Amino acid sequence: MKNKNKQSNIYRFFISPSRGDSPFKRMVIHLTLIVACAIAVYPVLRIISVSLRPGDRLLSTSLAIIPKDASLYSYYRIIFEKPFLLWLWNSLAITMTTAFIGLILASTSAYAFSRWKFPGRGPGLFFLLTTQMIPAAMLIVPIYILAVRFQLINSYRGLALAYSVSSVPFSIWILKGYYDTIPRELEEAAKIDGASQMGTFFRIILPLSTPALAIVFLFNFMMAWNDWIMARIMLQRENMFTWPLGIWTLAGQFRVEWGAFTAASILVAVPVMALFLYSSKWLISGLTLGSVKG
Amino acid sequence: MKKFLTVLLVLVMLMGIVSIASAKVNLILWTKEGEEALDWNKSLIEEFMKANPNITIELVKKTNVEVLREDFLTASLAGAAPDILWTVSDHAGPFVAADIVEAVDNLFDLNMYVGSAMDAVKLEGKYWGIPISNGNQLMLLYNKKLIAEAPKDTDELFTVGKKLTTGGNYALVWNQTEPFWLVPWLGGFKGKVFAEDGVTPTLNTPEMIATLKFLHDMKFDAKIVPPECDYDGADTLFKEGKAAMIINGDWSISGYVSVLGDDLGVARIPKVSATGEWPKPYTSGVYFMLTKGISGDKLKAAQDFIGFVSSKEKQLEGVKLLNRLPAVKEALEDPLITENPILKGSADQMVVGTPMPTVLEMRCNWDSMKPEMLAVLADTKSPEDAAKLMQSSAESCIKSLE
Amino acid sequence: MEALTAEVAVNTIKELWSMVLYIILGTIILEILVYLVLGKIFKSKYTLPYMLMIAAIFGLTMLVIYPIGYEVRLAFTNMSLRHFRSYTLSWAQGLKNFGLIFSEPVLKQIRFFPLLFRTLLWTAVNLVFHLAGGLGLAILLNRQMRGRGFYRTLLVFPWAVPQIIAVLAWKGEFHYEYGFVNVMLKSIGMQPIQWMISPFWNFAAACITNIWLGIPFMMIIILGGLQSIPLEFYDAAEIDGASRWQQFRNITLPLLKPVLTPAVVLGIIWTFNNFNVPYMINANELETTDILVTALFRAAFEYHRYGFSAAFAMIIFIVLFIIASVYIRITHGLKGAYE
Repeated sequence: MKNKNKQSNIYRFFISPSRGDSPFKRMVIHLTLIVACAIAVYPVLRIISVSLRPGDRLLSTSLAIIPKDASLYSYYRIIFEKPFLLWLWNSLAITMTTAFIGLILASTSAYAFSRWKFPGRGPGLFFLLTTQMIPAAMLIVPIYILAVRFQLINSYRGLALAYSVSSVPFSIWILKGYYDTIPRELEEAAKIDGASQMGTFFRIILPLSTPALAIVFLFNFMMAWNDWIMARIMLQRENMFTWPLGIWTLAGQFRVEWGAFTAASILVAVPVMALFLYSSKWLISGLTLGSVKG
Repeated sequence: MKKFLTVLLVLVMLMGIVSIASAKVNLILWTKEGEEALDWNKSLIEEFMKANPNITIELVKKTNVEVLREDFLTASLAGAAPDILWTVSDHAGPFVAADIVEAVDNLFDLNMYVGSAMDAVKLEGKYWGIPISNGNQLMLLYNKKLIAEAPKDTDELFTVGKKLTTGGNYALVWNQTEPFWLVPWLGGFKGKVFAEDGVTPTLNTPEMIATLKFLHDMKFDAKIVPPECDYDGADTLFKEGKAAMIINGDWSISGYVSVLGDDLGVARIPKVSATGEWPKPYTSGVYFMLTKGISGDKLKAAQDFIGFVSSKEKQLEGVKLLNRLPAVKEALEDPLITENPILKGSADQMVVGTPMPTVLEMRCNWDSMKPEMLAVLADTKSPEDAAKLMQSSAESCIKSLE
Repeated sequence: MEALTAEVAVNTIKELWSMVLYIILGTIILEILVYLVLGKIFKSKYTLPYMLMIAAIFGLTMLVIYPIGYEVRLAFTNMSLRHFRSYTLSWAQGLKNFGLIFSEPVLKQIRFFPLLFRTLLWTAVNLVFHLAGGLGLAILLNRQMRGRGFYRTLLVFPWAVPQIIAVLAWKGEFHYEYGFVNVMLKSIGMQPIQWMISPFWNFAAACITNIWLGIPFMMIIILGGLQSIPLEFYDAAEIDGASRWQQFRNITLPLLKPVLTPAVVLGIIWTFNNFNVPYMINANELETTDILVTALFRAAFEYHRYGFSAAFAMIIFIVLFIIASVYIRITHGLKGAYE
């Protein structure tokens, strides 16, 4: 087996230099990738080391990842002495709810865009793209005033509504692209068999779109989970804070509680990253859905 | 029939009176405090509510003063403002300009409060806040293990400092990124940021240039301070024993006491040898402010609560808990303060301080001084150029406030 | 201390549930309205699609259209701290605001066109490095090798870490004394750099941070695109004697275009409007590191020039709109999406 591979490698080396890389080239590639990985990961390691360092000392001349006097006190403190679990719960409750609502809104609207050429469709699509260009700072004050008028402030309703709607444009683009790749013949066939238009939506389109739906759900979730600015507008009482606001409170004006801050960051980042890495394949294909034809 | 109606009327009136008498008044208080000070907030409120069962005060903690300012402005704009604020004096400027707080002249007896504390919130001829504590001033804190006695003037500071700055240790550390640390020295050089009218900036003056030059020399000639140093850096170095002296404010004292204990000394920032003047750090304080339009029962309840916190007993309680100087004249003369070396030192510095201007235009001064001060300390601009730019920035900023 | 008690948890769920019920109720009402108006009165054949979209339309109107309308109106006022409750609303004031943007410093010293230039520079620098880095890494990864999954997972870290945390971590790393960047520089014998004070280096620090954050996104997209290019194309080109560079130019790039163009358009928009990175890396609030959106934020919330900043926001939006439209036109990139 080994010999065969070696032979074919040498064979390929002479026939197509780009396909079979020389050992030297391989080593260079691995080295480059290792350096790139180190650069990618190092700042995260530094956050870990600050969280293990006692005494809220952000700055230290030692570059050791695990400091000599490492302690898990900051983690203990953030979980038991700060309302960290409360922040996580708040975030989780809102994010799950809004991811679902956003998904429902987007999946139905994307279907409309995909299957009908109704008046206002072109401008509608264009409008969805332009919403991405609006600087967030522009919307802060009016959204706040609106929320106060409708009693949405200081309750999760306002924030949940904002989250549900704000990822809709992007989700519609993605889902529409995916729906477009589903041939209409399937729906025609179903209709001949007596299904209604909406029936085909539920029985044919949706089941076939589960990868895209999952991706949209994931996007909605990540955007709501990591958001700071909307939460900052809508939640003005500290006991309602989501985790971005929560750890922001640890960074006081003069005194930053670095130990607690970094410990909280790690505790939040780890599950997020795990989820992200686990689903990254899906996320990527989601972004390219519908743009690579055939 | 008439009898029945009369009885009904009387009943209704009785109910009305009873409901008014036992009407619950609910106040919303926004505070900028955190940690121990926040605990004091809570205990004050609890005690007050126990004594006044028909008043409830809801405490809302604001993460920091910037958040309080921004949120109060947006909340006022939308008609959802709280009733009382527990905040810093420099908020008076923006809030008075936006006309969202009440003047307190006729609502309280202002004579019981320290004069300089009241002056800090005097704008447009009226007073806009009730002081809770006074101070917030910068002072010279030193580690008695590294330096037995604080230098009396800047010449002494330089000579002693040069000897102390060796091998990674520094004689003096301070937050080199904020102009709050520049203004005491400006006062020492007899300068001021505003002209007599209190709203025209005077930043391009020989006094400012002398101040900038002094800070530059302290760093590049005498070399007694670190090359780059922000608040955290200075704090860390002092706590780790790598700096003999630090210029920091009264809010940091309890942190240093817990690390240095009795080795912590408090003194005035050294006299400027060139002018013979003591530096004049800004004093400000924590104040109650009332939202505009507060009236009736809510106003009365607010007045009661504020009176409660202004009692000598509660003022001294605040001193014990937070190491902050009180704002009520009576409390300031108490032996609790005069016999505590740290508080005595703090009071000693406050005496030569000057109230921080709280007009809206002050923000422009702060924002203009900061980058230029940084440039001079980075040796990328001369003091003369920096002062000129400070002045022009402040002027264009003030113009935009219209 | 607020704690997570069962009571609090249940309360949150109750609140959210009541909101969900309201939404369902509201949607039903809207649906009935649309059905009646379009279906019965106008007998439109487009009733169903509009029914499907009405909830989203309503939501977007409240969240996007109303606020923009409010801001447009605000752009014609002189609302600021001094004119908080009562301000003037007029065409003249609006014109004055728009004029001020170009004639006077937007903040203390910085003016509009230098800001615009810097924003464009910021966008260009970031995108170039994102693309170059992403492309390079993707090409390296697009082969059979040991540890490929391992590398890919690690290289995605910057994208996976929540952005606020990553930015604040990098800010710490640019600290003069203790940040690892300067420590590294010192260890190879170079002078430490004053990242937070020098205008040039602060901008560079923001760029470095954003480049670190943005390369994984491009890398993954390009990798996906590369992997969908059949190997036969390359083999055929080999046989025809094409060099590696020719293969790259004539096979790889064109076939990557449908995947790359939406990514680049998004990249342009997101980088142009990126708030977190330039705002937070700028520890000392140097106006020389501000780009358009951070200057907008400061004008609105630090200087309270509400009317002025509303006009400013409109200008920024128009600029970005033009840039994005031009790019899309040139590359015909979004043809597929409109069909």
